[in-house]
Amino acid sequence: MELGEFKAAVDRWLDQRAGALAPEFEGIGTLDQQMAQLRKVMRLSYEAGFMRMGWPERVGGLGGSNLLRAYLGEALTARDIVEPGMYSMPEVLAPTMIDYAPPGLAAEMVPRLLSGEETWCQGFSEPGTGSNLGSLTCRALPADDGWTVQGQKVWTSLAQYAARCVLLTRTGTPESAHRGITAFFVDMGSPGITIRPIESMHGVPEFNEVFFDDVFVPADRVLGEVNQGWSIAMDLLPYERSTALWHRAAYLRRRLERLVAGAPAGALDPAAVGEAAQQLLAFRARSRATQRRLAAGEMLGPETSVDKVLLATAEQAVFDLVAEGLGTEVAMGDDPVSVRWRAEFLYSRAASIYGGSAEIQRNIIARRLLALGDDR
Amino acid sequence: MDAAERELFESAVRRATDSATGAALDEALTDLGWADALESDRAQAVGVLFEAQGAAGATSAALDLVMATALGVPDPGAAALVLPPLRRRDAPGRLGSGRCAVRGVGTATLARRERAVVVASATHGAAEAVAIERGVLGVAPVRGLDPDLGLVVVTGDLAAGDPESLGPVDWDLAVAAGQLAVAHELVGTARAALELARLHALERIQFGRPIASFQAVRHRLAEALVSLEAASALATAAWEEPNPGTAALAKGLAGRSARTVVRHAQQVLAGIGFTLEHPLHRYVRRTMLLDQLLGAGAALTRQSGADLLATGALPATLPL
Repeated sequence: MELGEFKAAVDRWLDQRAGALAPEFEGIGTLDQQMAQLRKVMRLSYEAGFMRMGWPERVGGLGGSNLLRAYLGEALTARDIVEPGMYSMPEVLAPTMIDYAPPGLAAEMVPRLLSGEETWCQGFSEPGTGSNLGSLTCRALPADDGWTVQGQKVWTSLAQYAARCVLLTRTGTPESAHRGITAFFVDMGSPGITIRPIESMHGVPEFNEVFFDDVFVPADRVLGEVNQGWSIAMDLLPYERSTALWHRAAYLRRRLERLVAGAPAGALDPAAVGEAAQQLLAFRARSRATQRRLAAGEMLGPETSVDKVLLATAEQAVFDLVAEGLGTEVAMGDDPVSVRWRAEFLYSRAASIYGGSAEIQRNIIARRLLALGDDR
Repeated sequence: MDAAERELFESAVRRATDSATGAALDEALTDLGWADALESDRAQAVGVLFEAQGAAGATSAALDLVMATALGVPDPGAAALVLPPLRRRDAPGRLGSGRCAVRGVGTATLARRERAVVVASATHGAAEAVAIERGVLGVAPVRGLDPDLGLVVVTGDLAAGDPESLGPVDWDLAVAAGQLAVAHELVGTARAALELARLHALERIQFGRPIASFQAVRHRLAEALVSLEAASALATAAWEEPNPGTAALAKGLAGRSARTVVRHAQQVLAGIGFTLEHPLHRYVRRTMLLDQLLGAGAALTRQSGADLLATGALPATLPL
């Protein structure tokens, strides 16, 4: 299906099913409510066929370009039907399975993810492993017909709802660094897994600590090759900075326009509004160019670090304006609309931290895009 | 233009801007068919030339041509265009009390053309383009911060009936086209300044290591590249919805970004970048001038914000 035709079909469907798709709560609701909403929307979009567009047929998709996925997420986000961060998680998880899982496993599992039947999580960060991903220590040791996992992950989004986890583990010696990492597809119901949600400052416990205590993982759940997990992570990180970011740009645009409509006269400095508008549209322009490159079959690489820095800059600029224009609501409001603005403002502080911090992105830009050589 | 055609076009334009400036560059651009490209694919023609011109620090009649073409005046390449004074973007001519008063600036092209096109507006009424013999106008060369740019100050006070009327025009659309061209030129200027700083960082040894190995330097240059790519992406995308609001956003961002880039470049280049022996100063000067041509970056940014507050909507949707 062509993009224009797809856009019209999606828009028509969203108009027709507006009532069924709308959240049943005001503001941000609880995390349970948000998850129920997300699953409902994914199920309805999957049944209507839209959620299957842009994914390959061998994993239950209907084919077509990534632009279709980008548009669906944009439309759902711009209409405030889903929260973009949670909605976009399959944009990284599904490609991992498509590119690295045994074909039968990918064909069995990916439809469950896309249809909202299951939620999955990504086990990368650890207490001692934030920016330095290559230093991770969660061990996987060979066992009969598989592996035993021992260790801890942290910042694992939505682990408490997840049926599966794409997990990075240490399979080489402790000194093997990026050469001794293996990726697994782990059932979260396996014995030995404990999940502890992290209370975070924006009031939504979406991040978790996940403990693995001698968790058995069957041999056929290795993703890619043993000790090749680093290249999987490196191949996939650019995808974390493409379609998901386009969805986020649509969300930021809606929130900026909502802010401008809701802020009292004189509360916003026009110069600051102009800067935020420039940054937001520049981010959108950059992200669109990335979407088009992806659609043209180009491999994404370190240049997507620019997209990530622009997202963080635009998101923080928009919500810095919120803190000015709706300062009283953010500081004192306990109604659902104010609670949402406050949560979003606080969450925006993390935009330069999650998914590779602003500093790590600048390191990548310096080394890979500017060819400045080693940093020591 | 497809990708291969664009590559050929771009390398031809780069050869021209790297080897010639002023009248010689205009000739080279005529030879390679730039004016035809402007008609058939305005976005690519303007983007490629102005980035190359900025990178080379060259000048040409292209801005006059881009804006005159947008105005729709006959034979747009034949005359020079009078621009608003620096930092302004309203029409440089004013009609009233039977007079046509002109106050603006011109590019170096003005000295090479017999006639100038001036857009003049009455207090109430549409803007009108008029053609004026150059000899009737006061044309004073300026040296100022960037003598190589060759700007001139243009003044005039004529009886309203004297200039030949070229009919009503949409000045705001011509300004938008000019602003996008200047935005691309700022991106090219900044890219060249960043490259000078990058090369210096790799060559300059202190404490026994290239200064490129110090994170403070690396992050400055990375920040400069991000800023530049943001401006480039917006200037390029703006051609798909070229309206005054989008052009003001793109030009405002390009000015602010280019100033950020040259600031970082100058800091990294340190002592050598402060001398006339090193080319950086040319890019610093050009950035400061271009940031003020057809509206200053800071004022455009504020105006974009005021427009958004008034209308409640961004001027461009940038659809997939």
